[in-house]
Amino acid sequence: MTALADLWGALGLLMTPSLLFNAAWATLLGIIVGSLPGLTATMGVALMTTLTYSLDSTTAILVLICMYVGAIYGGSRSAILLNIPGTPASAATSLDGYPLAKAGRAGYAMGLATTGSALGTLVGIVMLVLIAPPLAEAALNFGSFEFFWLAVFGIIISGQLTADTTPLKGYIAGILGLMVAMIGSEGIHAHVRFAFGVPDLYAGIALIPAMVGAFGFAEVLTAMWNRGGELATTKDKSDRTLPRLLDLWRYKVTIIRSGIIGTFVGIIPGVGEDIGAWASYAAARKTSKEADQFGKGSYEGLMAAETGNSAVVPGSLIPAITLAVPGSSSSAVLIAALFIHGIRPGPLIMIEQPQFISLISAMLIVATLFMLIFGLTLTRAFVQVLRVPYAYLMPVVFVLCVIGTFALSQRMFDITVMVAFGLVGFVLRQMKYPMAPLVLGIILGALLDKSLRRGLTLSDGDLMPFFTRPVSAVFVVVIVTSILLNIPAVRRAALAPLRYLGRKRDA
Amino acid sequence: MRMAQADRVTAVVLLMLGLAMLAGGWTMERLEFRRIHPASIPGLVPMILGGLLALCAVLLWHSARPDAAGRTTARQTAPFLTGGSWSRLALTAALAVVYAIGLIGWLPFTAATFAFVFAFAAVFSWPGGAGRWRAQIKTLLSALVLGVCVAFGTALLFEHLFLVRLP
Repeated sequence: MTALADLWGALGLLMTPSLLFNAAWATLLGIIVGSLPGLTATMGVALMTTLTYSLDSTTAILVLICMYVGAIYGGSRSAILLNIPGTPASAATSLDGYPLAKAGRAGYAMGLATTGSALGTLVGIVMLVLIAPPLAEAALNFGSFEFFWLAVFGIIISGQLTADTTPLKGYIAGILGLMVAMIGSEGIHAHVRFAFGVPDLYAGIALIPAMVGAFGFAEVLTAMWNRGGELATTKDKSDRTLPRLLDLWRYKVTIIRSGIIGTFVGIIPGVGEDIGAWASYAAARKTSKEADQFGKGSYEGLMAAETGNSAVVPGSLIPAITLAVPGSSSSAVLIAALFIHGIRPGPLIMIEQPQFISLISAMLIVATLFMLIFGLTLTRAFVQVLRVPYAYLMPVVFVLCVIGTFALSQRMFDITVMVAFGLVGFVLRQMKYPMAPLVLGIILGALLDKSLRRGLTLSDGDLMPFFTRPVSAVFVVVIVTSILLNIPAVRRAALAPLRYLGRKRDA
Repeated sequence: MRMAQADRVTAVVLLMLGLAMLAGGWTMERLEFRRIHPASIPGLVPMILGGLLALCAVLLWHSARPDAAGRTTARQTAPFLTGGSWSRLALTAALAVVYAIGLIGWLPFTAATFAFVFAFAAVFSWPGGAGRWRAQIKTLLSALVLGVCVAFGTALLFEHLFLVRLP
C-alpha cells in the first residue's frame, strides 16, 4: 500500500502544466524518432540528453523517459507500414503488422500496437514498483566480489543474447567495450592508462560521445547504405484505429505473459527491447491456438511483440536504478543522464532518494498516457512523417550528433571520438557484432576493474572469496553454465534428459 | 567479400590488439614506490582483457575455417558489405567527416552547418540526366532553404532556448 501511495503522490507531483507540456512534446518527438528507420531509441535518448543540461532534474528525467517510451513504441509505425522496423525493437512487429497493412488493415494494426505497447509498459511499471525496492535492498549487501561478478555477468549475458550469429562476437564486443573503459585515469590509484601522452585521453572516453557515435552516426551511415522500403498504402473501408475490447480480452493471457517476459528480459543487463519482443513473440506462437496465422497477419503475434518490447522499458530501469547496471542500451544513456543531473543510481538510491522509484514509475505512466493519446489519434500524421526523404533527414540528425557530443564538455576531442565510434561501429555492425555489449563494457569497465582489484586487496590476493561467497557463487555458476552451453557437445549432453522426457511424453 | 574472410582479417587485428593490451598491462607502472598491494596494480585488468581478446581472436579464426571435410556453414559464406550502396556510404562518410572534423572549429558553427546540410541535401536528392534543369534548380533551392533553416534554427534553439554552447 505504501508503494501505491508513493506512486499516487509522485503522479500528483507531475500534474503541473509545465511538466505535462514537456512530457507531451517529448513523447511525440520520441514517437517520430522511433518511427523513422535509422533513428533508434538509444540515439533519441542520447541526443535528448544534450537538450536537458539546462533543465531541472525532474523535467530532464521526465523528458528522457518520455523520449524512451515514445521511441520504442514509434518503431512499430514503420514496421507496420514499411516492413522496416523503425527501431530494432519492432523487428518482430513487422512480421504480422506488415501483412495486416498490406491487407488494408494498417489502422487497426497500429491501434493494436498502440494498446499493446501501453499495456506492456503498464505491466512493466507494476513489476518495477514491486521488484526495484527489494532488489536495491538486497544489493546493499553486495561487496566488491559480487559487483565484479555482476559486471562479468552483464557482459557475458548481453554478449550471448544480443549476438546475431555467434556469441563469440558478442563476447568480443563486450571485451572491446571494457578495453575502451581502461583508457584514462583509473579509479583506485588515479594512474593514467593508455593515454599515449594525449591530455584529452587522461579523463578517458566519455560514454555520451561513444554512444552518439555508435548509435547515431553509425545509424546515419547504415540508413544511407541501405535501400528504403515500400510504403503500404492499401486501405480497407472497414479499417479502424480503436481496437475492439473483445480482441484485447481474447488476448489477455498473451498480454500479461508478454509483459512479464518483456520485464524480465529488461532486467537482464544489456539485453534490450528487441530480445524482449522476440521472446514474447516466440512464447505466444508456441502456446497460441492460431499459431498457423503467425507471420501472416496475426493480431495475437502483433500484440505479443509490442507488449513484449514496451515492457522492457520499465524492466531495463530496474537494474539501472538499483544497481547502476543498464538493462538496455537506452537505459545506459539514462544512467549517464541521471549522473549529469545529480542523481546517483545504485543500491543507495533507496536511502538517498527513497521516492525516486515511485517518481520514475509515475513518469512512465505519464509517458504511456501520452503515447496512447498520440498513437490512437495521429495515425495519418505519422504516415506523412515516413515520407520525409533521407537526403533531408540525415544531415539534420548528424548536426544534432555533433551538437550533442560537443555540448557535454565543450571539447572538440569528443566530436572526433563520436566520428571514430561511428565509423568503427558501422563496420562492426556490418560484421554482425552487437553494439549493446560494447556499450555495456564501456559503462561497466570501471566497476569491473575497481571491484576486482579492491576485492583482491581485501582478501590479500586470495581468489577464494570470489567463488565462495553465496551471491558470487550463484553468479559463477550462471556464467560458467551459460558459456559452456555454447559448446555443441556440452549442450547436447545437457539437453539429452529433456529430449528423452519429450520423446517419452510424445510416445 | 564473404563473412569468413572478414572474420579472418578481424581475428588478426583483434589478436594484435589483444597482445598489445597484454603487453601494455604487463609493462605498466606497478606503483611499487607507493607501496600499493601487488594485487591492485593498474595493469591487472588490461592484462586479463588483452589475454581474453587474444583467445577470442584465435577462436574467431578457428570458427571462420571450413570443417575437416571442407564444408562451410551459411554463416561463413554470408556476404559482407554487400546489398547497399558504396557510393552513398562513401559520400555520407566523407561529408560527415569533413564537417565534423574539418569545418567545425575552422568556420563559425552556422556557416559550417549550412555548408554541410546544403551539400548533403543537394548531393543525395540531385536529379540526374540532361535537360532536367528545372528539377535541378528546385533541388538546389530546397537544399538552400533546408541549410539556412537548420543552421540558424539549431543555433537559435540550442544557444538561446536550451542554453547549450555550440562548437
